[in-house]
Amino acid sequence: MTAFLQVEGLQKYFPIGKNFLGRPTQVVKAVEDVSFATERGKTLGIVGESGCGKSTTARLLMDLSPPDQGRITIDGQAYGKGAGRKPITALRKRMQMVFQDSYASLNARLTIEESIAFGPKINGASDREASTKARDLLDRVGLDPDNFIRRYPHELSGGQRQRVNIARALAIDPEIVILDEAVSALDKSVQAQVLNLLADLKAEFDLTYLFISHDLNVVQYVSDDVIVMYLGQVVESGPAQAMYSTPAHPYTAALLSALPALHPKDRKTRAPLEGDPPNPISPPSGCRFHPRCPFAEPMCAETVPPLADIGGGRHVACHMRVPGSGYPEVRPIVTVAPSPTA
Amino acid sequence: MDNIVEVRDLCVTFKTSEGSVYAVSNVNLDLAEGKTLALLGESGSGKSVTMKSLMRLHPPHKTQITGSIHVAGRDVLALGNRELSDLRGKDIAMVFQEPMLAFDPVFKVGDQIAEVVMRHEGCSYEAGRDRALEMMECVHIPSPRKRLDAYPHEMSGGMRQRAMIALALACRPTVLLADEPTTALDATVQIQVLLLLRELQREFGMSMIFVTHDVGVAIEVADEIAVMYGGRIVEQGPVDQVMTDPWHPYTQGLLGATVYPNMDPATRLVSIPGAPPQLYRQITECAFAPRCPHATDECHQPLPPPTQTDQRMARCIRLPEVAGALPRASVLPQ
Ligand SMILES: Nc1ncnc2c1ncn2[C@@H]1O[C@H](COP(=O)(O)OP(=O)(O)OP(=O)(O)O)[C@@H](O)[C@H]1O
Ligand SMILES: Nc1ncnc2c1ncn2[C@@H]1O[C@H](COP(=O)(O)OP(=O)(O)O)[C@@H](O)[C@H]1O
Ligand code: SF4
Ligand code: SF4
Ligand SMILES: [Mg+2]
Ligand SMILES: [Mg+2]
Repeated sequence: MTAFLQVEGLQKYFPIGKNFLGRPTQVVKAVEDVSFATERGKTLGIVGESGCGKSTTARLLMDLSPPDQGRITIDGQAYGKGAGRKPITALRKRMQMVFQDSYASLNARLTIEESIAFGPKINGASDREASTKARDLLDRVGLDPDNFIRRYPHELSGGQRQRVNIARALAIDPEIVILDEAVSALDKSVQAQVLNLLADLKAEFDLTYLFISHDLNVVQYVSDDVIVMYLGQVVESGPAQAMYSTPAHPYTAALLSALPALHPKDRKTRAPLEGDPPNPISPPSGCRFHPRCPFAEPMCAETVPPLADIGGGRHVACHMRVPGSGYPEVRPIVTVAPSPTA
Repeated sequence: MDNIVEVRDLCVTFKTSEGSVYAVSNVNLDLAEGKTLALLGESGSGKSVTMKSLMRLHPPHKTQITGSIHVAGRDVLALGNRELSDLRGKDIAMVFQEPMLAFDPVFKVGDQIAEVVMRHEGCSYEAGRDRALEMMECVHIPSPRKRLDAYPHEMSGGMRQRAMIALALACRPTVLLADEPTTALDATVQIQVLLLLRELQREFGMSMIFVTHDVGVAIEVADEIAVMYGGRIVEQGPVDQVMTDPWHPYTQGLLGATVYPNMDPATRLVSIPGAPPQLYRQITECAFAPRCPHATDECHQPLPPPTQTDQRMARCIRLPEVAGALPRASVLPQ
């Protein structure tokens, strides 16, 4: 039994710098052995700090950049290089993406209608059909077609542009939509409108979302399952509510306890982690989190912790959680309380 | 006068090719010594313009400023150029979202801090460098002596933010203006910087105005909060009171639109329809009226003076009727 969307062993290294022979001097290990799965109609959240590989993962799935390795399966159909696989370009009809920068992702010289109708047209729709589709979708994302259809991107507000981007992503009837920081740049009042809209559209079109964000509260609110990335790797994955109430990986726990308080009496007195996330050019040996981890033991600097099954649909890459790993005192899941709740 | 900052009836208008932009209207602010005020509001609401006015950083020919601003007893709008550069850095300093704006990329960080100290205190280069080292230690930059000779681009994001704070605090200003200094930072680094600012404030006895659009960040740092909308302060008061019992419908909407930890995924967010106003005309009525669920005809008439109590202020004519009207307003722990 495979899941609806299954991603296995995704990898992407970016060579950077050049020596006198024109050979790269370093590589950025942007994404390394990333695997995850989700079922139809679910939302999978992807969290992690800036530079951890969230956007690169999304770009690999969308074939905006070719993966070094990896396998993507939708509904049992494999995509990528190799026998029995469809070319990864065929994925784009099933998967669409909405980016953070609503402005850069629309062509400034196309009207809103042209932007939305573009996808259906290259997929064989007539002008008339494509135009009807554009009007329907605009209406669906809450923009009056008569008022907006002939406007250009610069004549819209950020929230309106993001609605157009969503309409455009839905225009070729995808099954999966990747939302990469799609609400992050919006003001709170507008962000709420777009989050409500995304929930409605998901129910109406039976969509599956990959929701990428650095905002842990929003991810918890929208996601069924969550994966946490650190320096190009998945360090924890599992059902959202379980992960947020009892984070298994020390990094997940740190992220959650770094959230600002909700009441002045609960203000933080101590930062959960010191320092900045290190650089994916020369990631630390063993467990990549070990230089910042409050639970690190000597073995953590030497042995890479595999993503281990800890039951309940949860996986974690931490020696401390895996009996027999050699970690001195294997502990069950710590309850590091997230920010106090209402 | 106990207030270190007093702003009265501040209006800031920019002349542009498209006409006047009424960026800030009738703003009043009081900041008591040693306290922190958070300015909370959405993009374009006038937070940065208010802050820049306190230091007179607007382009003089294109900007019209009226009202009065007093910082540390000085009448800021009446100061000449010399007195102004004296004021900046010494009485009042500012940190930004983007630290690269504060540093010159071609000079060493330590030298830039030393330079500011030399200029304001007339001390030697050596004394300036000593102060720079002391400040780098204060903001917990690892291996501070080595980092004095680093260039800004050689530092990580969090470290640059700390270095900028060191620069701003080098002459021990009495007031620190912080304009979204943690917005571009990752969560684990943001909390480090917030804690650092709180610690330095205590240590130096500074007063602080902290601009943010993040309710949680405001709660972490502030004693008082002022909520801005369309260039005006629409609500102001002690942070715990405003956050647990918001009076103004906009504040209520903002809290209802915010996603909190452990929210039931089945709860719909309270969304405020529409978008913030354009500021191409002087808005004398309630700027929130086009989006307000409680708006009536009288809300489109010029606004009367705000409702004021000992500790709180809100600018809505339908008070107290609409205070606490939204169901989600009670989401925060009381
Ligand atoms: N084309 C490229 N060439 C070199 N390095 C790259 C390239 N694209 C991405 N990287 C690097 O790969 C790493 C992961 O980047 P990515 O943008 O995927 O992270 P992210 O988690 O989405 O970050 P953010 O939240 O800041 O957008 C980063 O260190 C980034 O600098
Ligand atoms: N130098 C300027 N010239 C013209 N308009 C400006 C200038 N600076 C700011 N504004 C306008 O003033 C309003 C408030 O801006 P600002 O205070 O920067 O908002 P924010 O709350 O996001 O910091 C906006 O409408 C902005 O476009
Ligand atoms: S493997 Fe070791 S260093 Fe890594 S997270 Fe677990 S305890 Fe910390
Ligand atoms: S004055 Fe009227 S429109 Fe403005 S916030 Fe109050 S009720 Fe709403
Ligand atoms: Mg990204
Ligand atoms: Mg600003």
